[in-house]
Amino acid sequence: MTLLRAYLRGVREGWFILGYTLLLCLTFFIAAPFLMIVLRSVGKGWFGRLWLPPQLTLDWYRWAIEVGNIPEVMKNTLIIGAIAVAISTIIGIFAGWAFGRRHLPGKEILMAVILLPRMIPPITYALGVARIFYTADLVDTHFGVALAHVSVCAPYAILVLSATFESLDERVLEAAAVCGANTIKRFFYVVLPLIMPGILASMLFSFTSSYNEFTLTLLTYGPHTVTLPVRTYLAVGDGYWEITSAMAVIMVVPSLFILATIQRRAKPEKLIGGFKGV
Amino acid sequence: MPDAMIEFRDVTKRYGTLVANDHLSLGIRRGELMTLLGPSGCGKTTALRCLTGTIQPEEGQILLDGKDVTHVPTHQRELGMVFQNFALFPHMTVQDNVGFPLMIRSVSKPERERMVADALRLVRLEGYAGQYPRQLSGGQQQRVGLARALVYHPKVLLLDEPLSNLDAKLREEMRFEIKEVVTRLGITAMYVTHDQGEALALSDRVAIMNRGRLEQLGTPEEIYESPRSKFVAEFIGLSNFLEGYVQSIEGRDMLVMASGLAVSTPALPAIGPGQKVLLFLRPNEVEILPQDAPAGTNVFAARVDKATYLGDTMDYRIALGQGVELRVQGDARRRYQNGDPVRLRLRRVRSWTVTD
Repeated sequence: MTLLRAYLRGVREGWFILGYTLLLCLTFFIAAPFLMIVLRSVGKGWFGRLWLPPQLTLDWYRWAIEVGNIPEVMKNTLIIGAIAVAISTIIGIFAGWAFGRRHLPGKEILMAVILLPRMIPPITYALGVARIFYTADLVDTHFGVALAHVSVCAPYAILVLSATFESLDERVLEAAAVCGANTIKRFFYVVLPLIMPGILASMLFSFTSSYNEFTLTLLTYGPHTVTLPVRTYLAVGDGYWEITSAMAVIMVVPSLFILATIQRRAKPEKLIGGFKGV
Repeated sequence: MPDAMIEFRDVTKRYGTLVANDHLSLGIRRGELMTLLGPSGCGKTTALRCLTGTIQPEEGQILLDGKDVTHVPTHQRELGMVFQNFALFPHMTVQDNVGFPLMIRSVSKPERERMVADALRLVRLEGYAGQYPRQLSGGQQQRVGLARALVYHPKVLLLDEPLSNLDAKLREEMRFEIKEVVTRLGITAMYVTHDQGEALALSDRVAIMNRGRLEQLGTPEEIYESPRSKFVAEFIGLSNFLEGYVQSIEGRDMLVMASGLAVSTPALPAIGPGQKVLLFLRPNEVEILPQDAPAGTNVFAARVDKATYLGDTMDYRIALGQGVELRVQGDARRRYQNGDPVRLRLRRVRSWTVTD
């Protein structure tokens, strides 16, 4: 019996060691390319034979900003992101209310349709979007690109806000009504503050999806609507690895900032759930 | 009803084929605390929701202070309500929760602060104004709920199972607290519960509901002492039932044969031999006597089946007649053991005719 227990403990500790090793490998696997890019973006005369670049420089960043026109590109990215977030959140609030508060017939099917753009290969969907946009003259407009992004942002917003509305306690709204609040006052004094965490979460998710979106942008962008991922991709095509790396690092900074905010300010699961009960 | 503060007139509400309120008519007098009591699904909550305006009855009227409010939206009904799950606003402090009805009514800030302080004093929660609901215990949260319901002096106070989410000891305490506050303010209150103990302890009158209908309406004493039906008797307190046939009428009494026992009980009006009746005995209306006690009317030989010690009382299941088992409660100082032969004297037997 003791022998068996010792054996089991040994196995379990063995598993622990194996698990940690795998986790470490995975971390390295994820971090390595990123590390590579960072080193690439500050290295001079580094041709990959050495472990570390022989000389450090910030020249590539200067080049990226000046030649790559990063400020303009960043502005495009943020404008498109803001429009996409605004539209997605408004859609998300209404759809989330309907999904979370009412017993809709065929709710599952509707949900599946909403999630469809996320399920089918992006290029397939993007081709269709591009086709329509050429006809509707929406290509190379901030609004057009943002609208294309909405197809991937809105599902997030709807999912997050449905969960938020679902967790909204019916009785609390009833209490507000009994206290004398009409529909509008109930919304502004009770519903809105309670779903605010959900709205913020949905905005963050929407913004990151728009910010990171590549395929849909590639097929709807034009000279006036180059976004960061597309600009970076084009720079790769030109063969300037160092400058491209610098752009890639610049692009990652806001994402990391958002991630840090989420991690520190609020537990993501809490954001999604809103306030569960009291 | 002329002096009714709350009145249900023939209110009917259906959910599909289920009739939740079946022509319910009920009047609650000014300053009265009435309890709507019944098992789950009896329609008490539906009645309450019709009164708050959360749902609309299909037929009938609801009057508040003589005014027909059947189609008035909830927020214009001027109600105060305490909820089972407290339903406080989680994002507001106690101060803001209690002040919410005043803010909605645009009461000036200094005035609001004074009224909130008064309300908090009423429920003994001074000093908690800055706390959030999640920082409070269940009992404290419910007191905040009570303060919020009373702060703007509504015409009526509604309480929807306010003590169900609290533990047993706190429930007892809160009972008296609610009763005291309501009495002190002289407010008309409707209290919905499935707990008979609460209903008896709190109410001026109790309305017992069953399957969407009013089963009996009366003071707690009336309800307990003279239940009008088996349902009421079963729901309030412990009861023993015996089915039997009338054998003979002897003056003001009748003799009923029930499971081999000849039980004498006051005669029911317009009853004749052969009719089926249901006898009803409260456990404390049966006396346990030693085996050698003298025989008499309604004294029967019996045997203790199961004796349970409950501290201040003994709870017995006693077998007598042909397979009858009675639940009897007796003084714990005089104990009988399992299997002891005893005699039972039925001190008081009531009966209803059975129509089936």
